[in-house]
Amino acid sequence: MLARLKSSWSYLAIAALVVALILAPFHWFLGQYTTLMIVIGIYTIVTVGLCLLMGYTGQVSLGQAAFFGMGAYISAILTTTYGVNPWLAMLAAAIMTGAFAYIIGSPIFRLKGNYLAMATLGLGLIIWILFKQLNQSFGEPDGISGIPYLSIGGFVFNSSFRRYFLVWAFCLVILLISQNIVRSRTGRALRAIHGSEAASESIGINVNQFKVKILVLSAVYASIAGSLFAHHVRYVGAQPFDFLASVKLVVMAVIGGLASIWGAIFGAGTTHILSDELLLRFGDWDVVIYGLILVIVMIFMPEGLFVKLKEVFERLRLRYRQRGTEP
Amino acid sequence: MSGSVILETKGLTKAFGGLVAVDKVDLSIEAGKITAIIGPNGAGKTTLFNLITGVYPVSSGQIYFQGGLLNNVPAHKRASMGIVRTFQQVHLFGNMTVLENVMSGRHPRSSYGFLEAALRLPKARREEEAISLNAIKYLNLVGLGTHAEQDALSLPLGQQKLLAIARAMATEPRLILLDEPGAGLNTLEKRQLSDLIRNIREMGISVILVEHDMPLVMGLAEWVIVLDSGQKIAEGTAAQVQKDQKVIAAYLGEDVE
Repeated sequence: MLARLKSSWSYLAIAALVVALILAPFHWFLGQYTTLMIVIGIYTIVTVGLCLLMGYTGQVSLGQAAFFGMGAYISAILTTTYGVNPWLAMLAAAIMTGAFAYIIGSPIFRLKGNYLAMATLGLGLIIWILFKQLNQSFGEPDGISGIPYLSIGGFVFNSSFRRYFLVWAFCLVILLISQNIVRSRTGRALRAIHGSEAASESIGINVNQFKVKILVLSAVYASIAGSLFAHHVRYVGAQPFDFLASVKLVVMAVIGGLASIWGAIFGAGTTHILSDELLLRFGDWDVVIYGLILVIVMIFMPEGLFVKLKEVFERLRLRYRQRGTEP
Repeated sequence: MSGSVILETKGLTKAFGGLVAVDKVDLSIEAGKITAIIGPNGAGKTTLFNLITGVYPVSSGQIYFQGGLLNNVPAHKRASMGIVRTFQQVHLFGNMTVLENVMSGRHPRSSYGFLEAALRLPKARREEEAISLNAIKYLNLVGLGTHAEQDALSLPLGQQKLLAIARAMATEPRLILLDEPGAGLNTLEKRQLSDLIRNIREMGISVILVEHDMPLVMGLAEWVIVLDSGQKIAEGTAAQVQKDQKVIAAYLGEDVE
Protein backbone atom coordinates (compact mmCIF):
# COMPACT_ATOMS: atom_id res chain seq x y z
CA MET A 1 0.00 0.00 0.00
CA LEU A 2 2.74 2.37 1.00
CA ALA A 3 4.76 1.29 -2.02
CA ARG A 4 1.81 1.94 -4.32
CA LEU A 5 1.24 5.34 -2.76
CA LYS A 6 4.89 6.14 -3.23
CA SER A 7 4.93 5.07 -6.87
CA SER A 8 1.76 7.02 -7.68
CA TRP A 9 3.50 10.04 -6.18
CA SER A 10 6.51 9.52 -8.38
CA TYR A 11 4.31 9.15 -11.48
CA LEU A 12 2.69 12.44 -10.55
CA ALA A 13 6.13 14.03 -10.14
CA ILE A 14 7.25 12.74 -13.54
CA ALA A 15 4.04 13.95 -15.19
CA ALA A 16 4.54 17.40 -13.62
CA LEU A 17 8.12 17.43 -14.84
CA VAL A 18 7.09 16.59 -18.40
CA VAL A 19 4.46 19.34 -18.42
CA ALA A 20 6.98 21.84 -17.07
CA LEU A 21 9.53 20.77 -19.68
CA ILE A 22 6.98 21.20 -22.48
CA LEU A 23 5.99 24.68 -21.32
CA ALA A 24 9.48 25.86 -20.42
CA PRO A 25 10.78 27.11 -23.81
CA PHE A 26 7.79 29.38 -24.51
CA HIS A 27 8.67 33.06 -24.29
CA TRP A 28 6.09 33.74 -21.58
CA PHE A 29 7.71 31.12 -19.33
CA LEU A 30 11.44 30.41 -19.46
CA GLY A 31 11.93 31.13 -23.16
CA GLN A 32 14.94 33.36 -22.59
CA TYR A 33 16.80 30.38 -21.13
CA THR A 34 16.11 27.95 -23.96
CA THR A 35 19.76 27.61 -25.00
CA LEU A 36 20.80 27.00 -21.42
CA MET A 37 18.12 24.33 -21.04
CA ILE A 38 19.25 22.61 -24.24
CA VAL A 39 22.76 22.28 -22.86
CA ILE A 40 21.39 21.03 -19.53
CA GLY A 41 19.41 18.37 -21.41
CA ILE A 42 22.57 17.29 -23.23
CA TYR A 43 24.55 17.10 -19.99
CA THR A 44 21.70 15.20 -18.33
CA ILE A 45 22.08 12.42 -20.90
CA VAL A 46 25.79 12.05 -20.10
CA THR A 47 25.10 12.26 -16.37
CA VAL A 48 22.53 9.46 -16.43
CA GLY A 49 25.14 7.16 -17.97
CA LEU A 50 27.61 8.16 -15.31
CA CYS A 51 25.01 7.51 -12.58
CA LEU A 52 24.48 3.99 -13.91
CA LEU A 53 28.22 3.40 -14.02
CA MET A 54 29.28 5.11 -10.79
CA GLY A 55 26.20 5.27 -8.61
CA TYR A 56 24.67 1.89 -9.36
CA THR A 57 27.65 -0.25 -10.36
CA GLY A 58 30.26 1.55 -8.25
CA GLN A 59 32.82 2.00 -11.03
CA VAL A 60 34.48 5.41 -11.20
CA SER A 61 35.09 7.17 -14.51
CA LEU A 62 37.14 10.34 -14.63
CA GLY A 63 37.23 10.25 -18.41
CA GLN A 64 33.56 10.35 -19.35
CA ALA A 65 34.08 13.57 -21.33
CA ALA A 66 36.12 11.49 -23.80
CA PHE A 67 33.02 9.50 -24.85
CA PHE A 68 31.02 12.73 -24.99
CA GLY A 69 33.69 14.24 -27.23
CA MET A 70 33.89 11.16 -29.44
CA GLY A 71 30.21 11.51 -30.25
CA ALA A 72 30.67 15.18 -31.08
CA TYR A 73 33.84 14.73 -33.15
CA ILE A 74 32.67 11.68 -35.09
CA SER A 75 29.40 13.46 -35.95
CA ALA A 76 31.30 16.62 -36.88
CA ILE A 77 33.85 14.88 -39.11
CA LEU A 78 31.39 12.54 -40.82
CA THR A 79 28.91 15.32 -41.63
CA THR A 80 31.38 18.04 -42.68
CA THR A 81 34.23 16.19 -44.39
CA TYR A 82 32.32 13.18 -45.71
CA GLY A 83 28.84 14.65 -46.11
CA VAL A 84 27.17 11.79 -44.24
CA ASN A 85 23.52 12.22 -43.20
CA PRO A 86 23.57 13.62 -39.63
CA TRP A 87 21.31 10.88 -38.27
CA LEU A 88 23.50 8.18 -39.77
CA ALA A 89 26.55 9.98 -38.39
CA MET A 90 24.96 10.01 -34.95
CA LEU A 91 24.30 6.28 -35.20
CA ALA A 92 27.82 5.61 -36.45
CA ALA A 93 29.26 7.70 -33.62
CA ALA A 94 27.25 5.76 -31.03
CA ILE A 95 28.35 2.42 -32.50
CA MET A 96 32.01 3.46 -32.74
CA THR A 97 32.10 4.95 -29.25
CA GLY A 98 30.32 1.90 -27.85
CA ALA A 99 32.78 -0.41 -29.60
CA PHE A 100 35.69 1.62 -28.23
CA ALA A 101 34.27 1.35 -24.69
CA TYR A 102 33.84 -2.38 -25.21
CA ILE A 103 37.46 -2.81 -26.29
CA ILE A 104 38.94 -0.81 -23.40
CA GLY A 105 36.41 -2.24 -20.92
CA SER A 106 37.98 -5.64 -20.32
CA PRO A 107 41.52 -4.44 -19.56
CA ILE A 108 40.46 -1.34 -17.64
CA PHE A 109 38.16 -3.24 -15.28
CA ARG A 110 41.05 -5.37 -14.10
CA LEU A 111 41.64 -2.25 -12.01
CA LYS A 112 39.56 -1.18 -9.06
CA GLY A 113 38.93 1.96 -7.01
CA ASN A 114 41.61 4.63 -7.23
CA TYR A 115 43.53 2.74 -9.91
CA LEU A 116 40.45 2.60 -12.10
CA ALA A 117 39.97 6.33 -11.55
CA MET A 118 43.58 6.99 -12.61
CA ALA A 119 43.27 4.80 -15.70
CA THR A 120 40.07 6.50 -16.87
CA LEU A 121 41.63 9.88 -16.17
CA GLY A 122 44.64 8.99 -18.33
CA LEU A 123 42.41 7.66 -21.06
CA GLY A 124 40.41 10.90 -21.05
CA LEU A 125 43.59 12.93 -21.44
CA ILE A 126 44.84 10.81 -24.34
CA ILE A 127 41.55 11.13 -26.20
CA TRP A 128 41.50 14.86 -25.53
CA ILE A 129 44.93 15.23 -27.17
CA LEU A 130 43.61 13.20 -30.08
CA PHE A 131 40.73 15.68 -30.45
CA LYS A 132 43.22 18.53 -30.79
CA GLN A 133 44.95 16.62 -33.58
CA LEU A 134 41.62 16.00 -35.29
CA ASN A 135 41.01 19.75 -35.39
CA GLN A 136 44.07 20.21 -37.55
CA SER A 137 43.28 17.26 -39.81
CA PHE A 138 39.62 18.00 -40.39
CA GLY A 139 39.03 21.65 -39.52
CA GLU A 140 40.75 24.75 -38.30
CA PRO A 141 43.42 24.77 -35.55
CA ASP A 142 40.83 25.31 -32.83
CA GLY A 143 37.99 23.17 -33.99
CA ILE A 144 35.64 21.97 -36.69
CA SER A 145 32.93 24.34 -37.94
CA GLY A 146 30.16 24.21 -40.50
CA ILE A 147 28.32 21.27 -38.91
CA PRO A 148 24.81 21.08 -40.40
CA TYR A 149 21.55 21.13 -38.44
CA LEU A 150 19.66 17.94 -37.82
CA SER A 151 16.46 17.63 -39.84
CA ILE A 152 13.55 15.26 -40.37
CA GLY A 153 12.29 15.39 -43.95
CA GLY A 154 11.92 19.12 -44.63
CA PHE A 155 11.74 20.00 -40.94
CA VAL A 156 15.07 21.52 -39.94
CA PHE A 157 16.07 21.94 -36.29
CA ASN A 158 17.43 25.40 -37.02
CA SER A 159 16.00 27.25 -34.02
CA SER A 160 16.80 26.69 -30.40
CA PHE A 161 13.06 26.31 -29.76
CA ARG A 162 12.97 23.30 -32.08
CA ARG A 163 16.27 21.86 -30.83
CA TYR A 164 15.03 22.14 -27.27
CA PHE A 165 12.25 19.66 -27.98
CA LEU A 166 14.59 17.37 -29.89
CA VAL A 167 17.16 17.24 -27.10
CA TRP A 168 14.63 16.78 -24.33
CA ALA A 169 12.80 14.05 -26.25
CA PHE A 170 16.10 12.17 -26.44
CA CYS A 171 16.74 12.96 -22.78
CA LEU A 172 13.36 11.70 -21.54
CA VAL A 173 13.57 8.50 -23.57
CA ILE A 174 17.03 7.83 -22.15
CA LEU A 175 15.86 8.60 -18.60
CA LEU A 176 12.93 6.19 -18.99
CA ILE A 177 15.11 3.46 -20.46
CA SER A 178 17.59 3.91 -17.62
CA GLN A 179 14.88 3.78 -15.01
CA ASN A 180 13.60 0.53 -16.51
CA ILE A 181 17.10 -0.93 -16.43
CA VAL A 182 17.60 0.08 -12.82
CA ARG A 183 14.35 -1.59 -11.76
CA SER A 184 15.18 -4.90 -13.40
CA ARG A 185 17.23 -8.05 -13.04
CA THR A 186 20.06 -6.19 -14.75
CA GLY A 187 19.77 -3.25 -12.35
CA ARG A 188 19.90 -5.59 -9.38
CA ALA A 189 23.00 -7.25 -10.81
CA LEU A 190 24.66 -3.83 -11.16
CA ARG A 191 23.81 -2.87 -7.59
CA ALA A 192 24.94 -6.29 -6.39
CA ILE A 193 28.35 -5.67 -7.97
CA HIS A 194 28.51 -2.37 -6.10
CA GLY A 195 27.53 -4.15 -2.86
CA SER A 196 29.92 -7.12 -3.04
CA GLU A 197 31.72 -8.48 -6.08
CA ALA A 198 32.52 -11.75 -4.31
CA ALA A 199 28.88 -12.36 -3.39
CA SER A 200 27.77 -11.35 -6.91
CA GLU A 201 30.00 -13.96 -8.51
CA SER A 202 28.80 -16.54 -6.00
CA ILE A 203 25.18 -16.14 -7.11
CA GLY A 204 26.07 -16.35 -10.77
CA ILE A 205 26.53 -12.73 -11.82
CA ASN A 206 29.25 -12.30 -14.44
CA VAL A 207 30.80 -9.27 -12.77
CA ASN A 208 33.23 -8.28 -15.52
CA GLN A 209 30.70 -8.68 -18.29
CA PHE A 210 28.18 -6.46 -16.51
CA LYS A 211 30.82 -3.81 -15.82
CA VAL A 212 31.79 -3.74 -19.49
CA LYS A 213 28.17 -3.65 -20.63
CA ILE A 214 27.30 -0.70 -18.40
CA LEU A 215 30.45 1.13 -19.52
CA VAL A 216 29.36 0.60 -23.14
CA LEU A 217 25.86 1.88 -22.36
CA SER A 218 27.20 4.96 -20.59
CA ALA A 219 29.56 5.58 -23.52
CA VAL A 220 26.70 5.30 -26.01
CA TYR A 221 24.64 7.79 -23.96
CA ALA A 222 27.60 10.18 -23.87
CA SER A 223 28.14 9.77 -27.60
CA ILE A 224 24.50 10.54 -28.42
CA ALA A 225 24.75 13.62 -26.20
CA GLY A 226 27.96 14.59 -28.01
CA SER A 227 26.30 14.30 -31.42
CA LEU A 228 23.36 16.42 -30.24
CA PHE A 229 25.85 18.94 -28.91
CA ALA A 230 27.68 19.09 -32.26
CA HIS A 231 24.47 19.71 -34.18
CA HIS A 232 23.33 22.28 -31.65
CA VAL A 233 26.47 24.44 -31.46
CA ARG A 234 27.49 23.49 -35.04
CA TYR A 235 31.10 23.82 -34.02
CA VAL A 236 33.26 21.48 -31.97
CA GLY A 237 36.56 22.22 -30.30
CA ALA A 238 38.50 20.16 -27.77
CA GLN A 239 37.86 22.41 -24.79
CA PRO A 240 34.41 21.11 -23.71
CA PHE A 241 35.85 17.59 -23.51
CA ASP A 242 38.95 18.18 -21.39
CA PHE A 243 39.74 16.84 -17.93
CA LEU A 244 37.78 19.59 -16.23
CA ALA A 245 34.73 18.55 -18.24
CA SER A 246 35.07 15.01 -16.90
CA VAL A 247 35.28 16.39 -13.36
CA LYS A 248 32.24 18.57 -14.01
CA LEU A 249 30.32 15.48 -15.15
CA VAL A 250 31.25 13.65 -11.95
CA VAL A 251 30.05 16.66 -9.93
CA MET A 252 26.76 16.55 -11.86
CA ALA A 253 26.31 12.86 -11.06
CA VAL A 254 27.24 13.34 -7.40
CA ILE A 255 24.93 16.32 -6.86
CA GLY A 256 22.12 14.49 -8.62
CA GLY A 257 22.55 11.63 -6.18
CA LEU A 258 24.69 8.94 -7.73
CA ALA A 259 22.05 6.26 -7.42
CA SER A 260 19.15 8.32 -8.68
CA ILE A 261 18.07 8.46 -12.31
CA TRP A 262 15.86 11.55 -12.20
CA GLY A 263 18.35 13.35 -9.99
CA ALA A 264 20.55 13.57 -13.09
CA ILE A 265 18.45 16.48 -14.41
CA PHE A 266 18.88 18.29 -11.12
CA GLY A 267 22.61 17.54 -10.94
CA ALA A 268 23.27 18.57 -14.53
CA GLY A 269 21.11 21.67 -14.15
CA THR A 270 22.53 23.07 -10.92
CA THR A 271 26.14 22.25 -11.81
CA HIS A 272 25.91 23.73 -15.28
CA ILE A 273 24.19 26.91 -14.14
CA LEU A 274 26.68 27.22 -11.31
CA SER A 275 29.69 26.73 -13.57
CA ASP A 276 28.48 28.83 -16.48
CA GLU A 277 26.97 31.72 -14.59
CA LEU A 278 28.87 31.87 -11.32
CA LEU A 279 32.14 29.97 -11.41
CA LEU A 280 33.33 31.78 -14.55
CA ARG A 281 33.97 34.80 -12.35
CA PHE A 282 36.53 32.82 -10.41
CA GLY A 283 38.66 32.18 -13.49
CA ASP A 284 41.02 29.26 -13.03
CA TRP A 285 39.88 28.80 -9.46
CA ASP A 286 36.78 26.97 -10.67
CA VAL A 287 38.66 23.66 -10.36
CA VAL A 288 39.17 24.31 -6.68
CA ILE A 289 35.50 25.07 -6.22
CA TYR A 290 34.45 21.87 -8.03
CA GLY A 291 36.76 19.99 -5.70
CA LEU A 292 35.26 21.67 -2.65
CA ILE A 293 31.71 20.90 -3.80
CA LEU A 294 32.65 17.25 -4.37
CA VAL A 295 34.26 16.91 -0.95
CA ILE A 296 31.43 18.65 0.89
CA VAL A 297 28.71 16.66 -0.85
CA MET A 298 30.52 13.35 -0.36
CA ILE A 299 31.11 14.00 3.34
CA PHE A 300 27.77 15.45 4.35
CA MET A 301 25.37 13.85 1.89
CA PRO A 302 26.92 10.83 0.21
CA GLU A 303 23.52 10.06 -1.34
CA GLY A 304 23.69 13.34 -3.22
CA LEU A 305 22.05 16.72 -2.83
CA PHE A 306 18.99 15.67 -4.83
CA VAL A 307 18.27 12.61 -2.70
CA LYS A 308 18.88 14.66 0.44
CA LEU A 309 16.41 17.32 -0.64
CA LYS A 310 13.90 14.62 -1.51
CA GLU A 311 14.29 13.19 2.00
CA VAL A 312 13.74 16.58 3.59
CA PHE A 313 10.66 17.12 1.44
CA GLU A 314 9.34 13.68 2.37
CA ARG A 315 9.88 14.36 6.09
CA LEU A 316 8.10 17.70 5.88
CA ARG A 317 5.20 16.11 4.06
CA LEU A 318 4.87 13.38 6.70
CA ARG A 319 5.00 15.91 9.51
CA TYR A 320 2.35 18.01 7.79
CA ARG A 321 0.17 14.93 7.36
CA GLN A 322 0.51 13.86 10.97
CA ARG A 323 -0.43 17.30 12.11
CA GLY A 324 -3.43 17.17 9.78
CA THR A 325 -4.77 13.92 11.26
CA GLU A 326 -4.41 15.06 14.86
CA PRO A 327 -7.75 16.01 16.46
CA MET B 1 30.50 -44.39 2.31
CA SER B 2 27.58 -45.30 0.14
CA GLY B 3 25.26 -43.41 -2.15
CA SER B 4 26.18 -41.12 -5.00
CA VAL B 5 28.98 -38.62 -4.84
CA ILE B 6 28.16 -34.99 -5.61
CA LEU B 7 31.60 -33.45 -5.19
CA GLU B 8 34.99 -35.02 -5.47
CA THR B 9 38.51 -33.62 -5.27
CA LYS B 10 41.70 -35.43 -6.22
CA GLY B 11 45.07 -34.20 -5.01
CA LEU B 12 43.62 -30.72 -4.68
CA THR B 13 46.40 -28.24 -3.94
CA LYS B 14 46.55 -24.48 -3.57
CA ALA B 15 49.84 -22.71 -2.93
CA PHE B 16 50.19 -18.97 -2.32
CA GLY B 17 53.85 -18.48 -3.16
CA GLY B 18 55.64 -20.75 -0.70
CA LEU B 19 52.62 -21.25 1.55
CA VAL B 20 50.66 -24.39 0.75
CA ALA B 21 47.18 -23.61 2.06
CA VAL B 22 45.55 -26.76 0.72
CA ASP B 23 47.83 -29.74 0.29
CA LYS B 24 46.86 -32.74 -1.90
CA VAL B 25 43.37 -33.07 -0.46
CA ASP B 26 41.16 -35.93 -1.64
CA LEU B 27 37.51 -35.48 -0.82
CA SER B 28 34.42 -37.41 -1.67
CA ILE B 29 31.25 -35.64 -0.62
CA GLU B 30 28.12 -37.73 -0.60
CA ALA B 31 24.98 -36.29 -2.15
CA GLY B 32 22.09 -35.34 0.10
CA LYS B 33 24.12 -35.30 3.30
CA ILE B 34 25.37 -32.67 5.71
CA THR B 35 29.16 -32.77 5.70
CA ALA B 36 31.24 -30.65 8.06
CA ILE B 37 34.80 -29.55 7.46
CA ILE B 38 36.56 -28.69 10.69
CA GLY B 39 40.07 -27.89 11.75
CA PRO B 40 42.07 -25.32 13.69
CA ASN B 41 42.55 -21.77 12.41
CA GLY B 42 44.62 -21.66 9.24
CA ALA B 43 43.84 -25.29 8.39
CA GLY B 44 42.78 -24.28 4.88
CA LYS B 45 39.01 -24.65 5.24
CA THR B 46 38.04 -21.33 3.69
CA THR B 47 40.66 -21.74 0.96
CA LEU B 48 39.08 -25.09 0.15
CA PHE B 49 35.71 -23.33 -0.19
CA ASN B 50 37.29 -20.71 -2.41
CA LEU B 51 38.68 -23.42 -4.67
CA ILE B 52 35.38 -25.28 -4.90
CA THR B 53 33.48 -22.08 -5.73
CA GLY B 54 36.11 -20.82 -8.15
CA VAL B 55 37.28 -17.73 -6.28
CA TYR B 56 40.87 -18.95 -6.72
CA PRO B 57 42.23 -21.12 -9.52
CA VAL B 58 43.64 -24.42 -8.27
CA SER B 59 47.43 -24.93 -8.26
CA SER B 60 47.12 -28.63 -9.01
CA GLY B 61 44.66 -31.47 -8.65
CA GLN B 62 41.07 -31.79 -9.82
CA ILE B 63 37.60 -30.89 -8.62
CA TYR B 64 34.65 -32.86 -9.98
CA PHE B 65 31.04 -31.81 -9.52
CA GLN B 66 28.45 -34.48 -10.35
CA GLY B 67 31.18 -36.24 -12.31
CA GLY B 68 32.18 -33.24 -14.46
CA LEU B 69 35.55 -31.50 -14.16
CA LEU B 70 35.10 -28.11 -12.51
CA ASN B 71 38.65 -26.71 -12.60
CA ASN B 72 38.22 -24.30 -15.49
CA VAL B 73 34.61 -23.30 -14.95
CA PRO B 74 34.46 -19.56 -14.06
CA ALA B 75 33.06 -18.77 -10.62
CA HIS B 76 29.87 -17.16 -11.87
CA LYS B 77 28.97 -20.22 -13.96
CA ARG B 78 29.20 -22.54 -10.97
CA ALA B 79 26.06 -21.01 -9.49
CA SER B 80 23.94 -22.01 -12.47
CA MET B 81 25.49 -25.51 -12.30
CA GLY B 82 24.16 -25.75 -8.75
CA ILE B 83 27.02 -24.79 -6.44
CA VAL B 84 26.48 -21.85 -4.14
CA ARG B 85 28.08 -20.55 -0.99
CA THR B 86 27.77 -18.12 1.89
CA PHE B 87 30.59 -16.09 3.39
CA GLN B 88 32.12 -15.74 6.81
CA GLN B 89 31.69 -11.95 6.55
CA VAL B 90 28.11 -12.37 5.27
CA HIS B 91 28.60 -10.09 2.21
CA LEU B 92 25.01 -8.95 1.90
CA PHE B 93 24.17 -6.28 -0.65
CA GLY B 94 23.90 -3.28 1.68
CA ASN B 95 22.39 -1.06 -1.01
CA MET B 96 19.28 -3.24 -1.28
CA THR B 97 16.27 -4.31 0.73
CA VAL B 98 15.98 -7.76 2.25
CA LEU B 99 13.73 -8.91 -0.59
CA GLU B 100 15.98 -7.47 -3.30
CA ASN B 101 18.91 -9.42 -1.86
CA VAL B 102 16.99 -12.65 -2.34
CA MET B 103 15.73 -11.53 -5.76
CA SER B 104 19.39 -11.13 -6.78
CA GLY B 105 19.80 -14.79 -5.95
CA ARG B 106 17.37 -15.59 -8.78
CA HIS B 107 19.89 -14.26 -11.28
CA PRO B 108 21.04 -17.64 -12.62
CA ARG B 109 17.43 -18.86 -12.85
CA SER B 110 16.25 -15.98 -15.04
CA SER B 111 17.56 -14.77 -18.34
CA TYR B 112 16.21 -11.45 -19.56
CA GLY B 113 18.89 -8.87 -20.29
CA PHE B 114 19.56 -5.21 -20.96
CA LEU B 115 17.31 -4.82 -23.98
CA GLU B 116 14.28 -6.55 -22.49
CA ALA B 117 14.81 -4.56 -19.29
CA ALA B 118 15.23 -1.21 -21.07
CA LEU B 119 12.02 -1.63 -23.06
CA ARG B 120 10.14 -3.57 -20.37
CA LEU B 121 9.25 -6.25 -22.89
CA PRO B 122 6.69 -8.91 -21.88
CA LYS B 123 9.51 -11.38 -21.16
CA ALA B 124 10.97 -8.98 -18.59
CA ARG B 125 7.65 -8.46 -16.86
CA ARG B 126 6.86 -12.16 -16.81
CA GLU B 127 10.25 -13.12 -15.40
CA GLU B 128 10.24 -10.27 -12.91
CA GLU B 129 6.94 -11.52 -11.50
CA ALA B 130 8.34 -15.04 -11.13
CA ILE B 131 11.52 -13.64 -9.56
CA SER B 132 9.67 -11.80 -6.81
CA LEU B 133 7.29 -14.72 -6.12
CA ASN B 134 10.21 -17.12 -5.77
CA ALA B 135 12.19 -14.67 -3.68
CA ILE B 136 9.31 -14.38 -1.21
CA LYS B 137 9.20 -18.17 -1.05
CA TYR B 138 12.88 -18.38 -0.08
CA LEU B 139 12.53 -15.50 2.33
CA ASN B 140 9.75 -17.40 4.08
CA LEU B 141 11.95 -20.51 4.15
CA VAL B 142 14.36 -18.72 6.48
CA GLY B 143 11.56 -16.99 8.38
CA LEU B 144 12.26 -13.43 7.24
CA GLY B 145 9.07 -12.96 5.26
CA THR B 146 7.92 -10.06 7.43
CA HIS B 147 11.16 -8.13 6.92
CA ALA B 148 10.99 -8.00 3.11
CA GLU B 149 11.00 -4.21 2.69
CA GLN B 150 13.66 -3.45 5.32
CA ASP B 151 17.20 -2.45 4.39
CA ALA B 152 19.32 -5.60 4.47
CA LEU B 153 21.89 -4.18 6.86
CA SER B 154 19.25 -3.04 9.34
CA LEU B 155 18.79 -6.67 10.38
CA PRO B 156 20.69 -8.03 13.40
CA LEU B 157 23.63 -10.29 12.54
CA GLY B 158 21.72 -13.51 13.14
CA GLN B 159 19.05 -12.55 10.62
CA GLN B 160 21.65 -11.23 8.19
CA LYS B 161 23.18 -14.69 8.14
CA LEU B 162 19.79 -16.27 7.51
CA LEU B 163 19.22 -13.76 4.71
CA ALA B 164 22.55 -14.74 3.12
CA ILE B 165 21.36 -18.36 3.16
CA ALA B 166 18.04 -17.36 1.60
CA ARG B 167 19.88 -15.50 -1.15
CA ALA B 168 22.05 -18.55 -1.80
CA MET B 169 19.05 -20.91 -1.73
CA ALA B 170 17.25 -18.75 -4.27
CA THR B 171 19.76 -19.92 -6.88
CA GLU B 172 18.27 -23.44 -6.49
CA PRO B 173 21.56 -25.16 -5.69
CA ARG B 174 22.35 -28.88 -5.62
CA LEU B 175 25.16 -28.16 -3.19
CA ILE B 176 25.39 -25.32 -0.68
CA LEU B 177 28.60 -24.41 1.13
CA LEU B 178 28.17 -22.54 4.40
CA ASP B 179 31.25 -20.75 5.73
CA GLU B 180 30.93 -20.47 9.53
CA PRO B 181 27.17 -19.89 9.55
CA GLY B 182 27.06 -20.10 13.36
CA ALA B 183 29.76 -17.53 14.13
CA GLY B 184 28.42 -14.63 16.16
CA LEU B 185 24.99 -16.15 16.74
CA ASN B 186 23.32 -16.61 20.15
CA THR B 187 21.92 -19.92 21.36
CA LEU B 188 18.41 -19.34 20.04
CA GLU B 189 19.72 -18.23 16.65
CA LYS B 190 21.95 -21.28 16.50
CA ARG B 191 18.98 -23.52 17.09
CA GLN B 192 17.06 -21.79 14.28
CA LEU B 193 20.11 -22.20 12.07
CA SER B 194 20.34 -25.94 12.81
CA ASP B 195 16.68 -26.37 11.97
CA LEU B 196 17.14 -24.46 8.74
CA ILE B 197 20.16 -26.53 7.69
CA ARG B 198 18.28 -29.78 8.38
CA ASN B 199 15.38 -28.37 6.40
CA ILE B 200 17.67 -27.67 3.46
CA ARG B 201 18.98 -31.22 3.60
CA GLU B 202 15.38 -32.51 3.61
CA MET B 203 14.91 -30.64 0.33
CA GLY B 204 17.53 -32.98 -1.12
CA ILE B 205 20.30 -30.41 -1.19
CA SER B 206 23.80 -31.42 -0.14
CA VAL B 207 25.33 -29.22 2.55
CA ILE B 208 28.99 -28.65 3.36
CA LEU B 209 29.71 -26.46 6.33
CA VAL B 210 32.85 -25.04 7.81
CA GLU B 211 32.22 -24.37 11.46
CA HIS B 212 34.12 -23.81 14.68
CA ASP B 213 31.18 -24.42 17.00
CA MET B 214 31.65 -28.10 17.88
CA PRO B 215 28.26 -28.77 19.49
CA LEU B 216 26.61 -27.31 16.35
CA VAL B 217 28.77 -29.46 14.07
CA MET B 218 28.31 -32.64 16.10
CA GLY B 219 24.56 -32.17 16.22
CA LEU B 220 24.23 -31.64 12.48
CA ALA B 221 26.94 -33.33 10.49
CA GLU B 222 26.54 -36.84 9.17
CA TRP B 223 30.13 -36.89 8.02
CA VAL B 224 33.05 -34.88 9.37
CA ILE B 225 36.29 -34.10 7.57
CA VAL B 226 39.21 -32.73 9.58
CA LEU B 227 41.86 -30.51 8.02
CA ASP B 228 45.11 -29.41 9.61
CA SER B 229 47.81 -27.31 7.93
CA GLY B 230 46.17 -27.84 4.56
CA GLN B 231 46.00 -31.61 4.81
CA LYS B 232 43.15 -33.96 5.50
CA ILE B 233 44.05 -35.74 8.71
CA ALA B 234 40.83 -37.63 9.44
CA GLU B 235 37.25 -38.22 8.40
CA GLY B 236 34.33 -40.17 9.68
CA THR B 237 31.18 -39.78 11.69
CA ALA B 238 31.19 -37.19 14.44
CA ALA B 239 31.75 -39.86 17.08
CA GLN B 240 34.65 -41.47 15.20
CA VAL B 241 36.40 -38.16 14.57
CA GLN B 242 36.11 -37.07 18.18
CA LYS B 243 38.08 -40.12 19.29
CA ASP B 244 40.77 -39.82 16.62
CA GLN B 245 44.20 -39.24 18.16
CA LYS B 246 45.44 -37.08 15.29
CA VAL B 247 42.41 -34.81 15.58
CA ILE B 248 42.85 -34.38 19.29
CA ALA B 249 46.52 -33.62 18.76
CA ALA B 250 45.77 -31.06 16.05
CA TYR B 251 43.33 -29.23 18.29
CA LEU B 252 45.50 -29.37 21.40
CA GLY B 253 48.69 -28.62 19.49
CA GLU B 254 50.51 -31.82 20.47
CA ASP B 255 52.83 -33.89 18.36
CA VAL B 256 51.68 -37.39 17.54
CA GLU B 257 54.10 -40.30 17.83
